[in-house]
Amino acid sequence: MKISLLAVAVAVTGLMSCGKEEVPAPPPTPSVSIVDSVEIPFSSNNYLFYSFKDSAVVATSDSATTKWDFGLRFVDIIVNSHSSGPGSAGVITETGIYDNFITAPETGYAYDTTATQPAIDASLSTGWYNYDDNTHAFSPKAGEFFVIRTADNHYVKMEILSVTYAGYVSPTAPPTTLIYKFRYNYQADGTRNLQ
Amino acid sequence: MFGKFLYTFLAIALFTRVSAQLKPQEDSVGKLLDEVVVTATRTENKVSNIPLPIQVISAKDIQLSGSQKLIDILQMQTGLVIANNPLGTALQGYPNPFGDGIQMQGLDPAYTLILVDGEPLIGRNAGIINLGRIAIGNIKQIEIIRGPATCLYGSDALAGVINIITQEPIKNSAQFQTHYGTNNTLGLTGVGALVGKKIGLELFANRYSSNGYDFDKNIYGKTVDPFHDYSANAKLTYPIDDKTKFTLSGRFFTETQFNNYLIFPQSEAEIVKGKTIETDGSLFARLQHTINNKITYVASLYATSYSNNASVFLQKNDSLYETIRLSDFMLRPELQVNIGKNPSSLFVTGIGFNYEKVNSTRYESVSNLNSGYLFVQKQFQIKNKTNIIAGARYDKNSLYQAQLSPKLAIAYKLKPNFILKGSVGGGFKAPDFRQQFLNFSNSLIGYTLLGANELSHGLEMLQQTGQINPDINLSPYRQNRHLSPEKSVGINAGFDYTISNKAVAKVNFFRNDISNLIESYNLPFSKTNNQSIYSYMNLNKVFTEGLEASFSYNFNQNFSIFAGYQYLIAKDKEILQKIRDGKLYKKDPVTYQTSLVTKNEYKGLYNRSRNNANFRFQYNNILYKTTAYVTAKYRGSYGFSGLNGFQNGSGIYDDDRETVNGFVLLNTTISKQIAAKWEVQGGIENILNYTNKLLMPNIFGRSYFININFKLEK
Repeated sequence: MKISLLAVAVAVTGLMSCGKEEVPAPPPTPSVSIVDSVEIPFSSNNYLFYSFKDSAVVATSDSATTKWDFGLRFVDIIVNSHSSGPGSAGVITETGIYDNFITAPETGYAYDTTATQPAIDASLSTGWYNYDDNTHAFSPKAGEFFVIRTADNHYVKMEILSVTYAGYVSPTAPPTTLIYKFRYNYQADGTRNLQ
Repeated sequence: MFGKFLYTFLAIALFTRVSAQLKPQEDSVGKLLDEVVVTATRTENKVSNIPLPIQVISAKDIQLSGSQKLIDILQMQTGLVIANNPLGTALQGYPNPFGDGIQMQGLDPAYTLILVDGEPLIGRNAGIINLGRIAIGNIKQIEIIRGPATCLYGSDALAGVINIITQEPIKNSAQFQTHYGTNNTLGLTGVGALVGKKIGLELFANRYSSNGYDFDKNIYGKTVDPFHDYSANAKLTYPIDDKTKFTLSGRFFTETQFNNYLIFPQSEAEIVKGKTIETDGSLFARLQHTINNKITYVASLYATSYSNNASVFLQKNDSLYETIRLSDFMLRPELQVNIGKNPSSLFVTGIGFNYEKVNSTRYESVSNLNSGYLFVQKQFQIKNKTNIIAGARYDKNSLYQAQLSPKLAIAYKLKPNFILKGSVGGGFKAPDFRQQFLNFSNSLIGYTLLGANELSHGLEMLQQTGQINPDINLSPYRQNRHLSPEKSVGINAGFDYTISNKAVAKVNFFRNDISNLIESYNLPFSKTNNQSIYSYMNLNKVFTEGLEASFSYNFNQNFSIFAGYQYLIAKDKEILQKIRDGKLYKKDPVTYQTSLVTKNEYKGLYNRSRNNANFRFQYNNILYKTTAYVTAKYRGSYGFSGLNGFQNGSGIYDDDRETVNGFVLLNTTISKQIAAKWEVQGGIENILNYTNKLLMPNIFGRSYFININFKLEK
């Protein structure tokens, strides 16, 4: 599923050895910065699950585990907790400049109350995207990104960069797939530092 | 409360007639006309006495252009722009279900009221009245009033009014025209007037057809489908006595369009074929009676009906795939009383009742809309120098709050040839039937659209049929959320300057502030199929402002030029507030760098050109009995959302990568009299061959036509 891994890790090796029992070094550990994309077929009724830690799509059969952090289906986004999964995920929708956001808040994380009341607003005018009814384009609202507490209590900031149609062969077939391109900064050491 | 009134009167004659003094006077070279219009005040009035921006398109201009359709005439005028909805047509060869409308003062077609002989056309699809419905062979003049005219005409007249005045039977005459042009376009027109001792009868018939055209052979289906249409009008005038005049007028139009395109019911494409039939008919009766030299009343009854039926069948087995139907009917009795005389002092008051019924495959039930209205207007003149109009209209409707629309307009003759004009008025646009009553579920994708008045019932039904989860509490939606009318305040100010007996300059500054714009939104929960439910609510505030200017110069009776210009700014106030608050961001589509949008970067609403200009040239060579008529229209660059796939996430027009370049439409027509009663016209439209297949599928490239005209009088 993964199409590209454009930017990786400033200090992946450093993270590996950064266990909890060790004394944290005075300069905070930088987060891992990743750009990835996934394909969401229109035909599927299932969510596509994604793990920040592994930078990988998680199998649908693992939907009832804490292996995944967020799920995507059409324009709906879920996070792994409460009605959506067994994890302890939560999300804050932030407005501002992604690069300037350096510390995840301690509290205030929303979760999916029910299947039809998700934490992330995906509705037409107030949701995370602008929809153009002439071109049918979904473009992520600039300046809007998500601060997510993962299924296993790590912190990440994630911004959807673009949503494009694929599989469109004019004039014989309509598009079959949405391609989501997104970037995120994952903090492996469990702190809220997202720099 | 208007029920009793409804049946009391036989007929209305809203408008007294324009007298036959529109012909240029032959004796004075380059004499400038002071046209008589009826739209601005609902009474005959000279343009120089009316403190509003008015434009008149004469029968002569229409005739010289050789055009066949109203839209071709209107799009060449100052500040009027075709605002077609590219939805459908452009991408897939679908028929354009809406037709072409006119943007005025930067406002969408839904905000301009279209009248024929003072009576409104109905049958708006997505807010647009298809102007292709109006043939132009029997038009006497077109009057365009800019700025809100709600104080006289009620809903929809926010940007202004376009009133198409048809001919009256004045003398015996017969006229025929044969038009043939590119794309096998054929127009046949006949107009006849029979004037007896008392009764006059004007008859008009037109057949117009075209093969349409196809811009992209790779896309199945034509860009514009083949069609043929028929129009017929009949107008009878009967002066019962010196003081009483009776008018009966009927109008009929029908168009059949032959559709043929691809659909995608599943992943496989299917060909569908069928027809779209649009019909439009109206009848009005008017009685105008002068009681004494002060008081005149006009009683009228207007009935009009519109329908649009589209049916398509699957080609493979000829089974019905889809039928979409819309029908609209309106009945309107009205009484108008005029007391006094123009322009010294005239009081006009009127009362009327609208009964409107809409039926559609996409509405749950037949919808009725009843409204009553009352208007008053006082016009007076102070010392032959100042003309003042003050008026107001009260509209009471069963579905939304009563609306009061006042207007005040003042003209001051600084010098006899320099008139300052200023007006301010309030306007409103009633929520349309779609926004109120729509109940439509898309069979392919599965989303549902519910009009505001259908919301409670529609949600209930969805829950009962298991399409909404039973856990969802619908009680907040039990109470229907009635929409409020969209409101506007319009200000127009400028001057008419008659520089010499050959030259006139007109300038008008305008500003329209619109609030309560109705937009769609989706409900905070989805259907069990995970698709959204959409409804409508009052949301936005926008403004448009700018300048309209024109200059005309008559070198002599046979040689004249006209130049017009419009400057326009149209912006969303909420967007401006967001920018001020530092809450609107954009993201570079290449670097993904996010930054705040600045006020200067916001270029305004999409699909509005900042600059528009038009030019007209007319030269008549008496010796050769030949007239050359050249018109040009420049539409400046404008924004188009998502042009070439561009997105920066701001949701507004703030980047040049979304700019569509400006273009010029240039038309020319040569008319030559070849015998006493015969004339030949040849024309080239869009000489520069401008096309934009994706965004302007309504503009075919260069095209040619030839007309043969025959005219017999007396």
